[in-house]
Amino acid sequence: MDQIATGGTRRKRKLILAIFIGCCLLSVIRIVRDAPGPSRIQLDDVAKRSDQRFAAVKLVLPGRGIIGYVGENGESSLPDYYLTQYALAPLVVDRSIQHKFVVGNFPSLQVPSSLPGLRKVEDFGNGVVLLSNEDAR
Amino acid sequence: MWLIVAVILCVVLGYLVVEPASSGARGGIAALFYSCLALCFGIGMFSVVFLLARALNIVHVFKADLMAVTLLTTLRLVARRRRKLNLDPDQTSNSDLPKPLRLLLIAAFAISICVAAYALAVRAIAHPHGDGWDAFAIWNLHARFLFLGEMHWRDGFSSLLPWSHPDYPPLLPGAIAHLWTYLDSDAPAVPVALGLGFTAATAAFLYASIAIRRGHDSAMLGTVTLLSTPFFIEQGAAQYADIPLAFFFLATIALLNLGWSRGSRRLLVLAGLAAGFAAWTKNEGLLLLLSAIIGQGLSLLLEKPSVGPRNLRRLAASCAGAAPLLVLIAWYKQFLAPPGDLFASPTSMVAKLTTFSRYWIVLQWYGKEFLRFGGWWIVPLTVALPVLYFVFPHGQSEEHRMALRASIWTLGLTVMGYFAIYVITPNELYWHLRFSLNRLFLAAWPSVLFLFFSCVSFRSADKVSN
Repeated sequence: MDQIATGGTRRKRKLILAIFIGCCLLSVIRIVRDAPGPSRIQLDDVAKRSDQRFAAVKLVLPGRGIIGYVGENGESSLPDYYLTQYALAPLVVDRSIQHKFVVGNFPSLQVPSSLPGLRKVEDFGNGVVLLSNEDAR
Repeated sequence: MWLIVAVILCVVLGYLVVEPASSGARGGIAALFYSCLALCFGIGMFSVVFLLARALNIVHVFKADLMAVTLLTTLRLVARRRRKLNLDPDQTSNSDLPKPLRLLLIAAFAISICVAAYALAVRAIAHPHGDGWDAFAIWNLHARFLFLGEMHWRDGFSSLLPWSHPDYPPLLPGAIAHLWTYLDSDAPAVPVALGLGFTAATAAFLYASIAIRRGHDSAMLGTVTLLSTPFFIEQGAAQYADIPLAFFFLATIALLNLGWSRGSRRLLVLAGLAAGFAAWTKNEGLLLLLSAIIGQGLSLLLEKPSVGPRNLRRLAASCAGAAPLLVLIAWYKQFLAPPGDLFASPTSMVAKLTTFSRYWIVLQWYGKEFLRFGGWWIVPLTVALPVLYFVFPHGQSEEHRMALRASIWTLGLTVMGYFAIYVITPNELYWHLRFSLNRLFLAAWPSVLFLFFSCVSFRSADKVSN
């Protein structure tokens, strides 16, 4: 059964609704605070770590097929690999050296002078190197 | 130039899908309601046309688009015109908030829109390839395979790339690749624009659908609540598929609700279609689709007067809306996408189902995320909403009660389905919960807001329901 609200109830409701709107506005402040300020916007990290780094090697690789991948160990190894695949698509980049061509990706280290089972074909600088595996089919 | 043509074709496709359900609906709110649907259904149609064109070896997507437009136009002309649909706000939807409170609400509405627009813009500029791994490791990568792979587009489904989840449905990648084809370039601006478009459409559609049910004040309040959810804004520029999924969840729930309460089978067909597009966006959408059918069936069985021919026809209408996309998804899963990892090991699934500590872990995470998934500052709005519920009246008319029950069952079953998926997940449980539960809650959040603000009345004519 419904009943008409009293003056006290009305006042209470107004107050609660105003508080609710205030709570929403508090979170709006957080949205502003978390947004990167225009002066803090930096160059796009993904493009720097993928498309730009692999632009040169992409030119000499076939347009499609599967190539291998070798990279650094450590925390950044997985995103490095994902970013390589992103840059080289529609080539499929398999995280294995059992392919005729293998892309080496060493963004923070010196490119190793020799990698077991692999022969350096071309060094594109910036930690990107094209290798070949003569034993792969 | 070609980009403009593509955008026009996308909206026209959406309009042709939505138009049969909108004939006769007039007014600004109805226009906003159907425009949001036309835009997002158009994006969905764009991905469907692209995938079909690729599968049928149609090289020029413009031809495929023209064929789709011609087909839908012909169907529209052949179908007989039906009686007009009334989408005027309900009579109970007029608001009479006191002037100072209304001014505060309008100011909060304006501030939240401006802040959301600003935050989305700077986030999009700062992260043109998306904010987070999933953007470049899943969604935009799939789009690149579809676009750059040309006739070898199937390479993206390679089993050598299980981490990129090649089994995920292709609504977002397909639409991005379709637009890239017109541009002849994989410009990052396209996924950015789609992400922002879906975010804006979700907020606008929430406004329109609450306004139809409860008037402008409730609609403003609901929209302020959504736009002051920091995680919603963050995800809006992230280029993940969770905001598109949130839109289709909301569209399903709102259309189900309006369809049942106004007895419109045309809206229920659109509800089925929206659930189909949700399933075409992410695997989680399949759960929504299933829940929508079961939820409507359950609410019919529990309601009096219950299953009659009229109600069965309504249920059939929503199933009919979902059917074309369900067929498409079955084709996609059967012939294109590799099998997913979720149901790969039935023995392990059974073992996990009988491990009760897993239920407790998932329950704890549900509790934690309920309070924090939105990233709110100081006061979680999931705590503030129940306070409003108990303070303000929330009566429903008979036809709205049935509609509400169907919507709540749908959403409730979906959330329970997520729970079961976590219990049987083949992934490490904590890892899976940590990296996905907040986004699942976010996908349901606009729908929850619609249901909440459709129930609660902010009129100060002030009846208190006991």
